[in-house]
Amino acid sequence: MATKVAIIASNGSLFDAYKVFNVATAAAASDAEVGIFFTFEGLNLIHKEAHKQLPIPAGNEHFEEGFKRENVPSIPELVEMAQELGVKIIACQMTMDVMSLDKDQFIEGIEVGEQRASSIMRPMPISV
Amino acid sequence: MSIKTDHVLDAKGLACPMPIVKTKKAMKEVMPGQVIEVQATDKGSLADIQAWAKSSGHQYLGSTEEGEVLKHYLRKSGDAEAKEDKNFPHTVQNEEIIQKLDAGEDVVILDVREPAEYTFGHIPGAVSIPLGELEDRMDEISKDKEIYVVCRTGSRSDLASKQMEEKGFKNIKNVVQGMVEWSGPLEKNQ
Repeated sequence: MATKVAIIASNGSLFDAYKVFNVATAAAASDAEVGIFFTFEGLNLIHKEAHKQLPIPAGNEHFEEGFKRENVPSIPELVEMAQELGVKIIACQMTMDVMSLDKDQFIEGIEVGEQRASSIMRPMPISV
Repeated sequence: MSIKTDHVLDAKGLACPMPIVKTKKAMKEVMPGQVIEVQATDKGSLADIQAWAKSSGHQYLGSTEEGEVLKHYLRKSGDAEAKEDKNFPHTVQNEEIIQKLDAGEDVVILDVREPAEYTFGHIPGAVSIPLGELEDRMDEISKDKEIYVVCRTGSRSDLASKQMEEKGFKNIKNVVQGMVEWSGPLEKNQ
């Protein structure tokens, strides 16, 4: 009965983060097994510092007050919620090597590697 | 209107997907068969909660709206109820109840579901005493009349029928199909 959801996060703006983590937490709350594969700019979404201050895409700055008004949870809150719900967070090893990033520059509780990524990509991928 | 539940979750002011995320967490805190009330101001929570209940297998009872606040009622599923054998020997089919109602017979219908389940749809005139309270409230029911005990699927009413027989009730019948297959008239407390 457990539906599997694989999400590929390859962009690094605040909007991208919401698309990824909203879908992930909603799916996980509905008992799906969820894995997110973070690659290239998508790594921003789980970078220790960067994920707390993701940029709003240029020209959309005025949405900032909308996020506040609607009491939309912050990205760090959503990430914590996702991890609590058992969402697997996988950072792409190859991108990390290319960008000279280490595992300790990312939030706690992530997995690194291409092996794990390929195994979770078997179910329907959703590209965000 | 307030409906008695086992747990109230305040998700007011929270945006999607927090209401269902919080609901999932709250469900872990209650026992199978118990009912929770989820309060939310997110308009989308109505569709979300219904879809969530469907995918997670819990029972969605209904929702009410009070001003800005939506109140959703959910009952936690449990396999105990489905697997339990019904073995109270005196049973009736839903159809018989419908005929008795049509004929205007003076029968007592005892609904042993949770108050929230009763609120969102019950047989007209049915008396509501949840199974968990039955032992203490049995004296509210007359021993002289024919009593038809009903729940959602006939399992809780099976247990209730046995409890009542032990306490000296003679004329009890379990309505075996229960409300899940009820096609007769429905009354709602809203």
